[in-house]
Amino acid sequence: MPEHLRIRDRLRIESFKKLGQDVTLGAVEIDPAKCTGCGLCVKACAAGTIELVGKKARMRTVFPICHSCADCVAICAQNAIQMKQFLELKKYFRYLDRGKPEPPRRF
Amino acid sequence: MAEETKASVEKETKIKPPDSGAEFNEVEDLIYRRRSARFYKKQQVPEYLVRRLLETARFAPSSGNAQPWKFIVVQDRKMIEEMTRDVVAFCKLACRFIDYLDGWNPLKEWTAKLMQRLMNNLLHPIPFAALKLIAEEKLGLWHGAPTVIIMLTDKRCPGDPAVDVGIAGENLVLAAHSYGLGTCWVSFCTPLKMMPKWRKRLGIRYPYKLVTSIALGYPRGVPDGYVTRETSAIDWFAEDGTFKVVY
Ligand SMILES: Cc1cc2nc3c(=O)[nH]c(=O)nc-3n(C[C@H](O)[C@H](O)[C@H](O)COP(=O)(O)O)c2cc1C
Ligand code: SF4
Ligand code: SF4
Repeated sequence: MPEHLRIRDRLRIESFKKLGQDVTLGAVEIDPAKCTGCGLCVKACAAGTIELVGKKARMRTVFPICHSCADCVAICAQNAIQMKQFLELKKYFRYLDRGKPEPPRRF
Repeated sequence: MAEETKASVEKETKIKPPDSGAEFNEVEDLIYRRRSARFYKKQQVPEYLVRRLLETARFAPSSGNAQPWKFIVVQDRKMIEEMTRDVVAFCKLACRFIDYLDGWNPLKEWTAKLMQRLMNNLLHPIPFAALKLIAEEKLGLWHGAPTVIIMLTDKRCPGDPAVDVGIAGENLVLAAHSYGLGTCWVSFCTPLKMMPKWRKRLGIRYPYKLVTSIALGYPRGVPDGYVTRETSAIDWFAEDGTFKVVY
């Protein structure tokens, strides 16, 4: 059966000021040894999550609102990026009925 | 025409579903590879290609075959820039009321949350954050794409027109990726429908409603590729009367 919202969560909106408690932001892991600093991942990201510092890509430290789309992973020709954490909203906007992450599967 | 149809029927009878575990076919591969492109070359997409793509949208299924879509192609770079500027200005204005992240302002945060609850689709945390990024010009609107396809629906059509326009648009998007083009769905163009200037210039008035848009162009780098995503629970009432959940 579909998962539903708890009644008490219907009136509680996540605050971006309570990271960890209300929201777990998505996160990627970038291998600096593989990164050539091409900057394509910075452009690919719809969330302004990645920045280039000293010709290496890294996750921004301030408000990196990654929604784990993996567009950066797909565009990196060096395979330097991996998904580390998928976005979790924990109150009213909680994603329901989610299972663990998988690549396209051949059933 | 008749011969063509006959040929396609003959071909269809030869097509079989894959065996379990078989390699992906071309269509599946295309679907899995498609990623949104947010960085484009300056080179314009030729008119014939855009028309070829729009043709795929025309043959999408629609509720009652009502085809409730209206496409507006914009290849005029100045016009794209002007629309972008106006949307950025709109996002800046909206942020003045609801961006509670700049500094300590409990009243602003409370207002923002109330609005998020009332306009839950528009102000879901993800677009809410994107609104701030667009206002700060850290996220583009159409990402420098040379062609923008704005999509309107006719409000009087059967069913839910947003479903139909979504299907038609995805036909076009998949065809574009099969040519090596890049696309990005962009619903952040919707503030345009609130601006009298653009309502007039684009002709958005009853019964038309601006729903979304698609950015189109030659991508820089290769954005397409397979990725990992969360699965979702699928409820299954089986033939033998049992129930299960699969992922
Ligand atoms: C209806 C719709 C509207 C979207 N609006 C935007 C938008 O305004 N800006 C943007 O950068 N991406 C937009 N996207 C793209 C999504 O962010 C993207 O599809 C999602 O993150 C999944 O990534 P993928 O398309 O690479 O698989 C939109 C997608 C859809 C389907
Ligand atoms: S796309 Fe890959 S190689 Fe290029 S900057 Fe990003 S991580 Fe580095
Ligand atoms: S997964 Fe998506 S949102 Fe997260 S850093 Fe990569 S491109 Fe940005």
